[in-house]
Amino acid sequence: MNSIYDSRILNLVIFSPLLVAALVMFLPKTEKGQIRAVTLGGMLLNLLTCLWAWSRFEPKSPVEFQLEYRLSWIDDIGLSYHVGVDGLAVALVLLTGILGPLVVLSSWTFVDERVKEFHLALLVLQTAMLGAVCAVDTLLFYVFFEAMLIPMYLLIGVWGSEERQMAAMKFFLYTLVGSVLMLVALLSVYFLAAPAGLRSFDYSTLYNGLMAANRELAQYVKANPAGDGAGLSPAALALFRFGPYLFLAFALAFAIKVPMFPLHTWLPDAHVQAPVAGSMVLAGVMLKMGTYGFWRFAIPLFPVAARQFQLLLAALAVVGIVYGAFMCLAQRDIKKLIAYSSVSHLGYCMLGMVALTAEGATGSAYQMLNHGVSTGALFLLFGFLYERRHARLMSDYGGIARVMPVFTAFFVIVTFSSVAVPGTNGFVGEFLVLLGTFKSNLPTWLAVVATTAVILGAAYMLWMVQKVFFGQLTHQENLGLKDLGRREVLAAAPFLLLIVVMGLRPQPFLDVLNQSTQRYVARAQYASGETVADDAKVRVYVRSLPKEAVADARPAAPAPAPVPQPAALPARPMRLIPAQPQLQPATP
Amino acid sequence: MNIPHFTLQDFMPVLPTGVLVVGAIVLLLSEVFLSTAQRTYQAVIGTLTAVVAGVVAFSNAFEPGRAVLQGYVVLDPFSSWMTVTVCLGTALAVLLSAGFLKHRNAERGEFYALVLFAASGMSLLAMSAEFITLFINLEVLSVATYALTSFLRRGPRPAEAGFKYFILGAFSASLLLYGAALLYGATGSTRLADVGAALPTAFVQQPGLVFAGFGLVLVGFAFKVAAVPFHMWTPDVYEGAPTPVTALMSAGVKAAAVVAMVRVFLFLVKGLSPEVPFVVFSALAFLTMVGGNLMALPQRNVKRMLAYSSIAHAGYLLLGVAALFAPSAAKGSDPVGVLTATPLLGAVPNVAAGVYKGILFYLLGYTVTAIGAFGTIAAIERREDETRSNTWDLERFAGLAQRKPGWALAMAMFMLSLGGVPPTVGFLGKLYLFGAAVDAGLLGLAVVGILASVAGVYYYLRVVVYMYMRPAPVDAPAPVRHWTTELALVVSAVGVVALGIVPGPVTEWFSRLGMVFGG
Repeated sequence: MNSIYDSRILNLVIFSPLLVAALVMFLPKTEKGQIRAVTLGGMLLNLLTCLWAWSRFEPKSPVEFQLEYRLSWIDDIGLSYHVGVDGLAVALVLLTGILGPLVVLSSWTFVDERVKEFHLALLVLQTAMLGAVCAVDTLLFYVFFEAMLIPMYLLIGVWGSEERQMAAMKFFLYTLVGSVLMLVALLSVYFLAAPAGLRSFDYSTLYNGLMAANRELAQYVKANPAGDGAGLSPAALALFRFGPYLFLAFALAFAIKVPMFPLHTWLPDAHVQAPVAGSMVLAGVMLKMGTYGFWRFAIPLFPVAARQFQLLLAALAVVGIVYGAFMCLAQRDIKKLIAYSSVSHLGYCMLGMVALTAEGATGSAYQMLNHGVSTGALFLLFGFLYERRHARLMSDYGGIARVMPVFTAFFVIVTFSSVAVPGTNGFVGEFLVLLGTFKSNLPTWLAVVATTAVILGAAYMLWMVQKVFFGQLTHQENLGLKDLGRREVLAAAPFLLLIVVMGLRPQPFLDVLNQSTQRYVARAQYASGETVADDAKVRVYVRSLPKEAVADARPAAPAPAPVPQPAALPARPMRLIPAQPQLQPATP
Repeated sequence: MNIPHFTLQDFMPVLPTGVLVVGAIVLLLSEVFLSTAQRTYQAVIGTLTAVVAGVVAFSNAFEPGRAVLQGYVVLDPFSSWMTVTVCLGTALAVLLSAGFLKHRNAERGEFYALVLFAASGMSLLAMSAEFITLFINLEVLSVATYALTSFLRRGPRPAEAGFKYFILGAFSASLLLYGAALLYGATGSTRLADVGAALPTAFVQQPGLVFAGFGLVLVGFAFKVAAVPFHMWTPDVYEGAPTPVTALMSAGVKAAAVVAMVRVFLFLVKGLSPEVPFVVFSALAFLTMVGGNLMALPQRNVKRMLAYSSIAHAGYLLLGVAALFAPSAAKGSDPVGVLTATPLLGAVPNVAAGVYKGILFYLLGYTVTAIGAFGTIAAIERREDETRSNTWDLERFAGLAQRKPGWALAMAMFMLSLGGVPPTVGFLGKLYLFGAAVDAGLLGLAVVGILASVAGVYYYLRVVVYMYMRPAPVDAPAPVRHWTTELALVVSAVGVVALGIVPGPVTEWFSRLGMVFGG
């Protein structure tokens, strides 16, 4: 099954937009059509590579990170260029890839100033997002994570609406605080996970290095909940002392990005001021980086601390769900409404994730994809309306269904998805999240409160649809609105297709997510101190660096004690080097 | 009298210094014989001299450490790499000076000669293993920089800065000399190796004398590296000096002083318990990191902000120095404090190699970054504004991204590197130093250092915000371009990024064994 291309696909996925950006750089500024066409072509090419990666991904395989590619980089700090995807990541890659060309189509006529810079920003942003999703090395993740900030800042600050400077600044500051916190926490984990000389930024080293300490700490905390840490081994003691702070630093960093309830204030501004493309990318992919960070880093690395703060996080998620819904009810500005509905929907994501049950986690992962599709589609469609009318208030519209029937049909279907009507993708995600929350150890009233927001969600969305699309045509200006053109239908149709396919046939997607969610739950539950023999299940197996294969040729190097490997793991030949052992990171 | 017999071979280790001195003399003579109107050739000569000296030092860097010239000087990779860094900094500073001085009609051979003399002092200072040699080199370096500080005589600022620097510099040098004299009194030798060997007995006989000598030497060095609370002179002097000279001072002078300090105390602690220098350096590092960053926070004057930031960076270096002297008996269950050691994972490994690598890499990174940053300031400041109070105000950077996109990009990279954001050299340097500190168990200090550098990100990024997010003032003058300035900026910017992404052989060179002779 392994082909020599498999390990290269992700490089193509990540860097093909950047290559196209280099091409766009050489186009003359005035050739706007050419720039748009080349960018669209590049995004389509990128989508093809993403589809290729998706098709090469084996959902049933026990290998966690597939399509891996690893190259040694700065050896003495343990940094390698290491990319690979697990189920969630490959799903996000596909989502990002699909959004790419649609984003370009959405701004085809909307952006007419600085066209070249705009498309360069889009392409660079695409590379950064895909890189962040695919990175297995955490420092690489961080660099891509940071790199997303700059083009997004420019998208909001240069091509946004009236208050764009303020919104861009707010976005920049919030995200920057988050990422600085994340860097600090990341470095602490780096120091904590392995002794000097064996340190590495690789996810496997960080996770496996903390496993023993996490296990010891979990059992200790279970035995004496009010203990002061006496008698723990040094690593577990350090985790006992600093774990909660590090977890909070990670949690804060990602909670800003999600955004969770008290830290969400940058989002409405950023969404309202951003151009359509900015809103789509922001809602579609960038917010997922926050939930993805919780999924990948905050919770698995600190399961004990995550348990301590589980109720707090769940409560904040529920507050976010309900508060977002109520804010939506109060909005007159449509874009702001969609933005607040994002806060509400991502609350579901977080709730499912911190429920720490299989259903909740699956629902959460599915909801990440859903939100990207449905909110991305809402922003896209509203962008078309805004381009025609340059008004954001509901009161500026009314009765549009008469002049724009196709548009109305599209919008209503997307609304159904956002409201989570059965048969659309939103239903699957929300249902699983709520199911998982009811089944979890969280208090039932939290789940009950979260469920009420389903009704609120229907209320605010349908109310908005009713005000905008139905009733009498109250404004003269709206009489002359043109219905969707061919390009616009082309940009919106894939979303509709996804909504229906993901709603009626979720199984292929759930299959891809399945292994990933199982691992996530096993890692998050690692701290319960109950299950004993799950080490092999949660441990992160990755390829070792190529140079270690070279080291094998040396005579009789003192080999580290062989760690038993699960038999199910097939040998994965790496590139030109024949079968080599999986990296067994240094755990004492 | 016993006159030693030296062969030419004995002088090979100090050849880099010789090259620098010869270059300086050639420049002085050129002023007499070649007084043409165009004097960019002098900058070229100065740069080439520094480059040649750097190459010679580079070739020395792979030789095993040994005492040379009767133990007055040591040749080891640590000092050779230091000299390479100093030569790099000098070459860049000379390139920066050409355009700067030309714009002010002050291009003279003396300036470049003084820069090269200062560099020769720095390179020998890093090698000195004897108190008198150390003192003389310190003075060579200092006197040259005093003169450079007030080189642009017009206006009150250079004079004030030069005078302040001279008074405090002379004061600190005499403290150092006094401390050395006391140690000589206690041990009967000025050679560091002999002092260290004789200290245990001297300590028993005359503890007061030893402690006084130790303290005075420390204070003397603390002045030179601008550690809080001995930093008072730094902002004023850095602000008043011509900007290329400030660049040289912040990078070269400080680097040489740090290296000399490490060498002196490595020898001295052989006679003392390492507890004392550990606590002293930890306290200095704490104060310097926190103080430097806090004082830089409110600065709107970018040059002054960089002066305070250079104090903060000295603090990170002191953190590494403190890690050298960390007590090895600490346990993981000890409480975490700023002046105590708590190894994260139990035992304390030998961190010396890590610290040397960290210090050298940090100094190299800081040299390219700081020279680039000061260089950008030098490039955009105008002679007409020198008497005004807002010469270096943040507003001057407003909209630089539109006016000079290349310079703004370079400055943004320098700021990110100073702030320690990956993937720049500043991040790697900090990672090496903090990594060594964490290994040595300096958890509390490392946390303080990380928090302090997070605070630092704020004021560094403020410059970037002004450059990219504020509109340019309507009457903003076009900056004066000069090819040497732009060459220096390009070299520094490339260095910042290249060393950050592919540190490649450099880190391997810096982590070889036998880095410090007798260390």
